[in-house]
Amino acid sequence: MAKKRRSLGKVKSTGGHRLWGWLLKLGLVGMVLLGALAVYLDAVVQEKFSGKRWAVPAKVFARPLELYAGRALTRDDFLTELRALGYRQTNAANGPGQMAVGSSRIDVYTRGFQFFEGTEPAQKVSVHFNGSTISSIGGNRDLVMARLEPMMIGGIYPAHNEDRILIRLDQAPPYLVDSLVAVEDRDFFNHFGVSPKGIARAMFVNLTSGSLQQGGSTLTQQLVKNFFLSADRNIVRKGLEAMMAVLLELHYSKEDILEAYLNEVFLGQDGNRAVHGFGLASQYYFAQPLQELQLHQVALLVGMVKGASYYNPRRNPERAMTRRNLVLDLMAEQGMISQQQASDAKGKPLDVTAGGSMANTSHPAFMDLVKRQLRADYRDEDLTSEGLRIFTSFDPLLQKKAEDAVQSTLKRFGQTPDRPPLEAAMVVTGAQTGEVLALVGGSNPRFSGFNRALDASRPIGSLIKPAIYLTALEKPERYSLITPIDDEPITLEAEPGKTWSPQNYDRQSHGQVPLYMALAKSYNQAAVRVGVDVGVDNVLNTVRRLGVDHDWPAYPAMLLGSGAMTPMQVADMFQTIANGGFNTPLRAIRNVLTAEGEPLKRYPFEVRQRFDSATIYLTQEAMSHVMSEGTGRSAYSHVPANVRLAGKTGTTNDLRDSWFAGFSDDLVAVSWIGRDDNSQTRLTGATGALQVWNAFMGQAHPQSLSAVPPGGVVSAWVDPATGLGSDPSCEGSVEFPFRAGYEPLPGPGCRPVIDTEVLRDGANRVLDTIRDWLR
Amino acid sequence: MIKQAALTAAALAVLSGCTVSGGAIPVVDSGRPVSNEDMRTGAGRVVGSSPQTSAPQDSGVVVMVPDGAGGSSAVQSYPLDSQPVFSTDVGGAAAGTAGSSTGSSIGGSTGGSSVLQPDEQLSGPVLALLTTARQQEGSGDLNGANASLERAMRIAPREPQVLYRLAQVRLRQGDAAQAEQLAQRGLTYASGRPALQAGLWELVAQARDAQGNSAGAEQARQRARVSL
Repeated sequence: MAKKRRSLGKVKSTGGHRLWGWLLKLGLVGMVLLGALAVYLDAVVQEKFSGKRWAVPAKVFARPLELYAGRALTRDDFLTELRALGYRQTNAANGPGQMAVGSSRIDVYTRGFQFFEGTEPAQKVSVHFNGSTISSIGGNRDLVMARLEPMMIGGIYPAHNEDRILIRLDQAPPYLVDSLVAVEDRDFFNHFGVSPKGIARAMFVNLTSGSLQQGGSTLTQQLVKNFFLSADRNIVRKGLEAMMAVLLELHYSKEDILEAYLNEVFLGQDGNRAVHGFGLASQYYFAQPLQELQLHQVALLVGMVKGASYYNPRRNPERAMTRRNLVLDLMAEQGMISQQQASDAKGKPLDVTAGGSMANTSHPAFMDLVKRQLRADYRDEDLTSEGLRIFTSFDPLLQKKAEDAVQSTLKRFGQTPDRPPLEAAMVVTGAQTGEVLALVGGSNPRFSGFNRALDASRPIGSLIKPAIYLTALEKPERYSLITPIDDEPITLEAEPGKTWSPQNYDRQSHGQVPLYMALAKSYNQAAVRVGVDVGVDNVLNTVRRLGVDHDWPAYPAMLLGSGAMTPMQVADMFQTIANGGFNTPLRAIRNVLTAEGEPLKRYPFEVRQRFDSATIYLTQEAMSHVMSEGTGRSAYSHVPANVRLAGKTGTTNDLRDSWFAGFSDDLVAVSWIGRDDNSQTRLTGATGALQVWNAFMGQAHPQSLSAVPPGGVVSAWVDPATGLGSDPSCEGSVEFPFRAGYEPLPGPGCRPVIDTEVLRDGANRVLDTIRDWLR
Repeated sequence: MIKQAALTAAALAVLSGCTVSGGAIPVVDSGRPVSNEDMRTGAGRVVGSSPQTSAPQDSGVVVMVPDGAGGSSAVQSYPLDSQPVFSTDVGGAAAGTAGSSTGSSIGGSTGGSSVLQPDEQLSGPVLALLTTARQQEGSGDLNGANASLERAMRIAPREPQVLYRLAQVRLRQGDAAQAEQLAQRGLTYASGRPALQAGLWELVAQARDAQGNSAGAEQARQRARVSL
């Protein structure tokens, strides 16, 4: 009886209860699934945000400035470096980062630094200057040398080569955060990841205005979208986005999310490279650092968040302008700026630059070289360890001087309005070390574009002549510095059936000239004669041995430099001559440390002897005559006369390319001027590139080339007119270096054989003595 | 029912609690902004106690070389004062005409198996770096020794003793080809210093042996004997 009643009771309420039961069970299952999904998404979110996604950029450092007595450094250059490193001027340098500046003395408390080969401690150093040298340094315990910390010149993302200019939240300019929040997510600081209020408001505004003006997504949701999800805008995506946004807010603070947003938001496309983050966008659109942007520029970038391509200020300027003004209105509406400020800003133009530059460094040309060298030695996968510290040979002081030289010289030349502008490139390397010290890739060194120093391959013109004469001097039995060469017309068969008669620049022939003079004055006919005599293929092989791999055909025309090289290759070639015949592969990186300070890789100094040092010395001697009396002599209007230099001008056909390559004891510098469309410059090597070189060397205080000959070189007196041995007593004779064993025999002296003067004196004395006896 | 709902809610709460770890998003400064202001390095600063590169010795021991006029002039063993070389001494002998020179020896200068004579002294910074390199070699840090020696080379590129030591280190590292090249480079600067030349030729011989060039090694040893 009871059982029946119970079962009846059960049956009666089953209908409703069953439905509820099923719903509850479904709800529970759904919640469990949702919970599992939440756990999974949570893991994804955290993995992305906690370090892996943000590849810590490799830091690229310049060379550390070394301080020791006798080092060539001016007080002003030292001050420039200290200021660039952020040292503060105080009365007495008592703590790291402070300096006390006097007229010929600077006290500095250095900051310590962890180098590849050890730690440099923070310490107080007093540096005394005398002219353009450090006369002495002082510190504790008889300090002999000290190093400043190296300057950071850029960052590299090894893993995916995506550039960013990362900004911290406190580096954002005024108005940026406020306007972003005002336009995109008014309740950002109050919501929990999703904002129902924001969604409702957006729906209201869009419905009433009839157009899609506001989005309902929070900044957090947008960040999630940028980071994780594709562009599909379906409901499932939206749901996932919302969940991840909530999870993100659970783990990270508003500030963290905002900072990530500022660095991640998509703001444009440059070919196949994406512009992410306000830091890079500021550089790309305005060529300015983010901190310097003004209100109207900030408003434009904030407006572009909604659709970077749709509101692209270069392609759709009217749309961009409208959007920007809308942003400014919103800001005024919410009281962030005054009405006056808003209308002022609305009156301004967009102010974007004509072309976009993706440079994330002040030295894009050199950074380009660093990246290429890294890529040559590491596959992208190998560089997975992040936060690498890359130490380079970059010298900011020399870089500034090179840039100033290029820009001031180009400015002096002016621009011809009917042609593309003059462009330039410059490479500076250490003569004995083969390290790249400065690199200028174009007339605007801040611009990250075509790197002419590394990639502009142009005919080298007369720059090949040192290779011709070097080949000749390697046969000392036939050629010495004073061997007379015929600078006379010569006709050769260039291609079958065609002849070639090279002309000198001044259209004259100069008869017999000593070999060194033929190089100094860059006579074409003499060069071709010598080149044909020693063999064009031998000359081209000399160029290879000098360090430049090429595949030029062995035509005589190559002897006047119709082969092409980049400025970097020219630097490599002249480096070998400057370095006594030892070729050193040019390199920019010295070594690499991991983020923890462990040594990772070294790029050691390596040499390969390619030429006999005696022959190279003779070649250097000839090239020094280029500077003292030849086509390069204008250098001595900028450099003191007692500094021995060597170099060569290079001019190409129809005056299209202007080259100069030259070196001192410590520096090799190559400069080039030309036009990108290869049209005429109307500049010779001397009137064009040499001017840049002079301006640079005038500031760089080069050291005099050593006049000490190596073993295997002897001096002898010769008559320059005949090339025969002579004697110091003869008028007009000069001393020249020769390969030992091949010097001319000394010639007859020019004093009379019997010195009558002495005889007469002697005779007079004898007579005087006899007279005395007779007295 | 409520109990079950509460249980599941609690379970979810616990589960989500397991995954909370919190953390800041590490955003790190990249390179300098594209202006010449604000050039901070933000570099790692490690202030530790480690062997300083300063050598507690008197500085400025200088090699005296007789010049043609019968007196003697100071020679700096690095080309920082190369101007006097050109203006006073065209074609003269800055590297020394003969090994005859005077000079005091620095106590505790490069010890060990070195061919340095007391007369071949070095300037302060170069000597300090060679000393550091010696210490690094001694503790097995050959990469560090390389780096210190290259630093010395940047200061005194023509000093053959630096190249000698660099060639030694490379030989120890197994890079015999470069050891030979570096020793040859040192030889081009070592004219007038027979003891150093002998040492360099000996290094060339060792390097050639290591490369299997025994004929060349024998030639080099002969040149070493001739130098002395």
